[in-house]
Amino acid sequence: MTATTTALPPRRESLSRRSSAAPWRHVDITLVAAVLAVAGLGVLMVYSATQRRIDGDPHFFLRRQAIFALLGIGVMVVVASIDYRVFRDFAPQIYVGILVLLLLVLSPLGSNRRGAQAWFQIGGFQFQPSELAKVALIVCIAAYGSVHRGDLNARRVLTVLALAAGPMVLINAQPDLGTVLVFLAILLGTLLVAGARPRHMAALGLVGLVAVIAVFQLGLLKEYQKDRLGAFLEPSDNSLSSTYNLNQSKIAIANGGLTGKGLFEGTQTKLAYVPEQHTDFIFTVVGEELGLLGAGLLMVAFAVVVWRIWRAAALAKDLCGTIVCVGVLSMFVFQIFENVGMTMGIMPITGIPLPFMSYGGSATIACFAAIGLVLNVHMRRFS
Amino acid sequence: MSNDSARLRLSIVGIIVISLFSAIFARLWYLQVLDSETLQAEAVRNQKRLVFEPAPRGRVLDRKGRPLVENHVSEAVTVTRIDVKDNDAVLGRLAALLGISVVELERRIQDPRFSPYRPVPVAEGVPEDKIVYLREHQADFPGVQVQAVAERAYPNQALAAHVLGYVGEINDTELAKRETSGYRLGDEIGKSGVEQTYETDLRGRPSRLVLEVDSAGRVVATLSSRPPQPGHDVQLTLDLDVQRLAEESLAQGLEASRRRVDRENRKSFVAPAGSVVVMDPRDGSVLAMASFPTYDPTAFVSGISRDLFRSLQDKANHFPLTNRAIQGQYAPGSTFKLFTALAALQRGAITPKTTLLDEGSFRLRSCRGERCVFRNAGSRAYGRVDLTRALVVSSDVFFYNLGANFWFGGGPNRLAIQETARQFGLGERTGIPLASEQRGRIPDPESRRRLHELRPDAFPEGQWRTGDNVNLSIGQGETVVTPLQLANAYAAFANGGTLFEPKIAARVLDGRGRAVREIGAKTLRQVPLDPNARAPILQGLRGAVFDPTGTAAGAFAGFPLDVLSVAGKTGTAQVSGRQDTALFAAVAPVENPQYVVAVVMEEAGFGGSAAAPVARRILQGLAGSPPGPVQLVGGID
Repeated sequence: MTATTTALPPRRESLSRRSSAAPWRHVDITLVAAVLAVAGLGVLMVYSATQRRIDGDPHFFLRRQAIFALLGIGVMVVVASIDYRVFRDFAPQIYVGILVLLLLVLSPLGSNRRGAQAWFQIGGFQFQPSELAKVALIVCIAAYGSVHRGDLNARRVLTVLALAAGPMVLINAQPDLGTVLVFLAILLGTLLVAGARPRHMAALGLVGLVAVIAVFQLGLLKEYQKDRLGAFLEPSDNSLSSTYNLNQSKIAIANGGLTGKGLFEGTQTKLAYVPEQHTDFIFTVVGEELGLLGAGLLMVAFAVVVWRIWRAAALAKDLCGTIVCVGVLSMFVFQIFENVGMTMGIMPITGIPLPFMSYGGSATIACFAAIGLVLNVHMRRFS
Repeated sequence: MSNDSARLRLSIVGIIVISLFSAIFARLWYLQVLDSETLQAEAVRNQKRLVFEPAPRGRVLDRKGRPLVENHVSEAVTVTRIDVKDNDAVLGRLAALLGISVVELERRIQDPRFSPYRPVPVAEGVPEDKIVYLREHQADFPGVQVQAVAERAYPNQALAAHVLGYVGEINDTELAKRETSGYRLGDEIGKSGVEQTYETDLRGRPSRLVLEVDSAGRVVATLSSRPPQPGHDVQLTLDLDVQRLAEESLAQGLEASRRRVDRENRKSFVAPAGSVVVMDPRDGSVLAMASFPTYDPTAFVSGISRDLFRSLQDKANHFPLTNRAIQGQYAPGSTFKLFTALAALQRGAITPKTTLLDEGSFRLRSCRGERCVFRNAGSRAYGRVDLTRALVVSSDVFFYNLGANFWFGGGPNRLAIQETARQFGLGERTGIPLASEQRGRIPDPESRRRLHELRPDAFPEGQWRTGDNVNLSIGQGETVVTPLQLANAYAAFANGGTLFEPKIAARVLDGRGRAVREIGAKTLRQVPLDPNARAPILQGLRGAVFDPTGTAAGAFAGFPLDVLSVAGKTGTAQVSGRQDTALFAAVAPVENPQYVVAVVMEEAGFGGSAAAPVARRILQGLAGSPPGPVQLVGGID
C-alpha cells in the first residue's frame, strides 16, 4: 500500500493554490474526460444493440440515450456547482423527500414494468426514483457520519443502518433486489470510512453473509431469482432460462476474441441472441464487437474513473466529502463488478445497470449526478 | 478518528477495488483469449441453420412412356410460424376460412415434421375461391402464404397399385438405415413396390439452404443454397393397356366365378382373390402384374388414416395390400405337370411314345386302404394315353405313375421332378426387384423333415413316401408357387431354356427423357431343355387349347387361334378347407413365344372353366381383337 500512500499529495504544495477562489478552476478534468468517454461509448453500444430491431425506428434508443447523457451532463454541472455542504445541511429534507418518492412509486401513481413497481411515467419517459435514492442516501450517510467525526460506536452504526433500511425496504417491495444490493455496497463502503469499528464491520459482514444464505435457504427468493442464482451456480443445467441467457452472454463476449468482430458486426448482437442487451447486458456488445482490446480499454476507463474518485476521497477537505466520494466509489465499483461479472459468469445475474453504458435515463442521470458530487468535493478541497 | 486510520481505511477500499478489477481483467482474458475458440464455434452454430427441402419426385412411366405415377401440383396454404405466433386474430380468420377449428389449425402449425425456419403447409388442395380470397385479403393474413406443393398423383387410379407401391413418411428403422444418405425425419420415402425399389432414382437430391437465423427464429439471410435436383423418371416394362386388360379380366373372372355354384359342396364360389402375370419370355419383362383385391394408392398421399391402413391389411378384406403375384403361394395343380413331364422325358423314364392305360385311378403298390388310391378329377378314365395326350386331357393317372416310379425306383433320379422344377426357378425367389417376394416350396424329404420338426401337429408324418411324390407329380401336396414363379418357369420353357430374373423396370430417365441407365435382361441360368423333350410337351399344351377334348378348349372356343396360337395348361388345385384354386398358364404364339400368361384365382373352381377364360380374354386383347366380357365355361381340371 505504499504506492497508494504516496499518491496523497503533500499538504504544503496545496497551500499555494488555496488562494484561488473559484472552485471551477480545480475541477478534475481527467475524471470528466474519462466519464464522457465511457458515456460516449455507451451511446454507441446502445445503438449497436438496438439498430436492428425490426419494429420501428432504428435510432429510437440511440437518440434517447444521447438525450439522457446530455441531461446527465447538465445535472452533473448543477450538482457540482452547489457546494456539497449545502446538500449536507439539507440532508434531512433530502432523506424525507426520497422516502416520499419511494412510497409514491408503490402507490397507483407509479407504474409497473416487467413485474417491478419502480417507475413514474412522465410523458414518453420513465423516472425511476430508486436510482436517485442511491445518490441521496450517500449524501445522508455522509452528513450523519461527518457530524460524528469519524467516531461511530455501535448505536451510531445502527442508526446509519436504520437510515438506510427505510429506502431499502421500499425498494425491495418494488421488488428490485439488485438496487438493494447496491445500497448494501454503499453502506459497507461509507461505514468503513466514516469510522465504524473493525469488529462492527466484521459483524456486519457476517450478518450479511448469514442473511444471504437464509434468504436462499428459507425460500424467500422469487422463482426467477432462484433461477438466476442456479444459472450462476450450475451453468451446465440448461433447463434454466437464465442459463441460456448467461451462455449466450458468454458466447458473445468470447466471440469477440482479441480484437472483436468490428463495430456493428457482432453476430450474437446482430441476431439478438443476448437478452436485455442494450440494458443489463450492454457489456456483451463491447466484448463481441470490440474484443479484448475494447473491453479492456473500457475497464481501464472505468478504473481511471474509480481512481479519480478515490483520489478525491483522499483529498477531500472534510470527512463529509470523503464519505460522499467513497459512497459514490462503492456504488460504481459494485455496479461495474456485478454487471460485468454477471455477463462473464463470475457473478449471479441481477438487474443492475452498467454505469454510463446501460440504456436508461434515471440510471444514467443518477450516475452523472454522483460524479457531480465527486467533482463538487474535489474542486472545493481548498475552500 | 486519527488521520492514519482514515488513510488506512481508504487503503483498504483501494485494495478491494484493485482486486475486483483484477478479477474482471482475468475473466476477460480467459473468455476472449483462452476459451475463445470453443465459444466462438457456438456463436457460429447459433446463427446458422440447415434446411432441406425435398426435390420433386420422379415419375413412373409405362413401357410406352405413359405416366403411371406423376406429381400433381396443388395449392397449399402455408403459415410462417413466427409471424402468426400469438396472433389469435389471424389464426381465427384462417381457421374459419379453411373450415377447421383453431385447435386443429394450431396442431397443424406445430407439426414437427417441418423445419421451424420454413413455412408450414396447413392445408392442401384448397379450393380456388378460398385461394383467391386469401390473395385479395393478404393484409388480413400476415404470415399466411399460398404455395404450390407437389404430391403423388395416380392418373389411372388403382391401376398397377401393387407394382407401383406407395410413398409415406420415413419411419425410425428406415431413417437409421439411411441417415448417411441425407434422409431426415419427416421425409417421404417409397414404402413398397417400384417406389421402394427405385427410391434412390426417384427421390433426387433435396435442396440445401444455409440460413442465418436470429434468436427469435426469424430468417435474416440465406447464406448459401444448393438447388434441388429433381428425381429421375423410372420407365417400367409394364404396358398400361395390358395391365388394364389383365386387371379387368381378373376382376371379371372372379366376379363371374362368385355367381357359380361349386358342385362339390353346393355353395357359391367365394372367389375372393387372384393374380395375373403377363411376361415377355424373350427377356423376362413383366408386361402386367395384377393382384386382386387392390387399393387406390391415392389414399396414401398426404397420410393415410390408421383405420383405412388397417382395413387394407385385414384378413376379412382379403389383404388388399398384398401383392399376390409375388406374395401369394398356391399349389400349382396340373400346371406343374409340365415339369414332371420334362423330368420324365429328360431322365429317360419315358419316351414321347410311351403309353399307359388310364382307368381313372392309380393304386400305390404294397399299400392298402382308400388313402392308397389316387384318382383323376371326377374319376374319369382316359384309356391309353401318351404324354402329349395326357397333357391335353390332363390325365392325373399318367403323372401319378411317373411320380411314383421316380421315388420308388430309387437311384439318382429319385428326386428328378424336384430337381427339374427347381431348375426352372420354382421354390426360390425369382429376384424381381420388388420387396417381400415369397419363395414357394418344392417339397422333398428334407423339406418334409423340417416341416415335421417345426409343426409336428400339422405334419405328423416326418418321412417322405411314394405317395408324397405322387402328389408332387400333379402339383399338389406341399408344393406351392407364386404366380410370378409359375409365369417365369413357363417363360423359360417357352424361350428354350433361359431362366431370366423377371424385370419390372426398363430404364431410368432424366427430366428431358434421356436414358440415365438402361436396365438389361438378367439371365439367372440356362436350364437344360432338350428340344426333343420340349416339342411333345408343347404339343400337349397346344392340344389343351386347340383339341376339342383339351381342358381349355371350351374357354378358347372362337378364339382367333390363327392370329395368335396359344398353348396352355389348366390347373385345379385342392386346398384343404377351401374351394379349389383355378389356374391357367399359357404361352403364345406357340411357334415363337412372345407372351406368357399365368392366371391364379383363389376358390374359383376348375382351371379350365374359370382361369382359362380370364387368360383367353387377355390373350384376345394381345392378339389385337377387342375382348368381350369374360365367359366362364363348363369343364373339368
